[in-house]
Amino acid sequence: MKVSKECVGCGQCAAYCAFDAIIIFGRAAMNENCTGCGECVKYCPISAIMEII
Amino acid sequence: MKTVIIGAGLGGLLAGAKLTKAGYDVEIFERLPFIGGRFTNLPYKGFKLSTGALHMIPHGSRGPLAQMLREVGAHVTIIDSNPMAVIRKSNDEIIAFHDFRNELSLTEQVKLGTVLAYSLKFKPRSDLSFRDWVLKYFDDEFLFKLADSFCGWSLSLKAKDVPAREMLEIIDNMYLYKGSGIPLGGCSAVTDALSGIIRSNGGRIHTQSYVERIIIDNDVATGVIVGKKTIDADIVISDIGHFETSRLYECMDLEYLNKISNVKPSKGIKICLSSDEPLIGHSGVFFTPYAQRINGINEVTNADPSLAPPGKHLVMSHQAIITDDLEAEINLGLLDIAQLFPGKKYEALLIQSYSNGWPVNRASSGSDNGNRTPVENLYIVGDGAKGKGGIEVEGVALGVRNAMAQIGVS
Repeated sequence: MKVSKECVGCGQCAAYCAFDAIIIFGRAAMNENCTGCGECVKYCPISAIMEII
Repeated sequence: MKTVIIGAGLGGLLAGAKLTKAGYDVEIFERLPFIGGRFTNLPYKGFKLSTGALHMIPHGSRGPLAQMLREVGAHVTIIDSNPMAVIRKSNDEIIAFHDFRNELSLTEQVKLGTVLAYSLKFKPRSDLSFRDWVLKYFDDEFLFKLADSFCGWSLSLKAKDVPAREMLEIIDNMYLYKGSGIPLGGCSAVTDALSGIIRSNGGRIHTQSYVERIIIDNDVATGVIVGKKTIDADIVISDIGHFETSRLYECMDLEYLNKISNVKPSKGIKICLSSDEPLIGHSGVFFTPYAQRINGINEVTNADPSLAPPGKHLVMSHQAIITDDLEAEINLGLLDIAQLFPGKKYEALLIQSYSNGWPVNRASSGSDNGNRTPVENLYIVGDGAKGKGGIEVEGVALGVRNAMAQIGVS
């Protein structure tokens, strides 16, 4: 998953991540737990997360 | 009358509840998978955190939001905080909020009463900031720090960035409605109750539905396009702020565009803490005027233990963002917490920040542009169109009341 510079760090994606794969500190960053499932994308209020194709 | 509402945040839901109750046919489109926007619960590690606002209603059970909930028949239990708020002094002593006057000299106390009474009656000129208003009459470090702490906590702004007029409207409302309360069940108790009312009144709420365009015909809103489908409407209400709304149609009013693009959103950081023992011990606001960054803290589990797993407390701090270095701002906040609660065991659960496209308030307090747009039958509600003197969600409720008056719904 790719997080754009629009990310503000609200943490919504992290709360809905089933793999505990998102670290929030001013912005979101995926750790090695990320499976690329893409569930976080729909929880981002400003469309700042994109799947890497 | 068919009404389409863009966004199922608090503003959209309040408008939807008022309109369905008045017999309007309402359809709400929300782009996220859940409703409530920045005023609902965020489940996290067994805690009920919040998507945006703290689990708090600034004027509690007597305020504009509570009043509107009662009007539409939304049942929410609001536990008024007692004490309403306390202040942590520079020597670590904690005093009740209303006793802040005792920290001033006798002369200053008398002066404060007179100046406040005068300024509430004759509002200062509109370009005077709250800080400059305080500075005009007082030379007192405690008052400056308290002003910043209060403005930071309630508006995510420094006192220098709040118009004195807006702050005096807020003080007026504090006398009128009194202090804060906690919605039992957290923010989602409010937004879920509203969606229940809307649905039982025949309204429809669609999640994961993105409005692509607002259809305008001869400067009149006639509907929206959602997923290539046209939905006709007599009224369109947008809960996404003036600017974002203006991008959904071809706005030709340059004066309006100029005005709304100059509006600055307010930005802040919320640190959510888990603790085995209470750090504060009541559900009122804990103002921290002498902290470097943290403006205030509350411990909602004293009012509603269900917001944390059994035996745990949920504590949330709030700070306005002062510089552009967000990571440094967060670190200063964490340092403040460590210094405020030495020797206490707690854990930072989640640190949430809000700015730019997903801010604390789309229009910082005092810079709201009302509910109207250059397009007939297109109205704005929510935190981009708050009513005067309304702190956060109280401002949203006052803004919705203004919009309803313009539509003709009491």
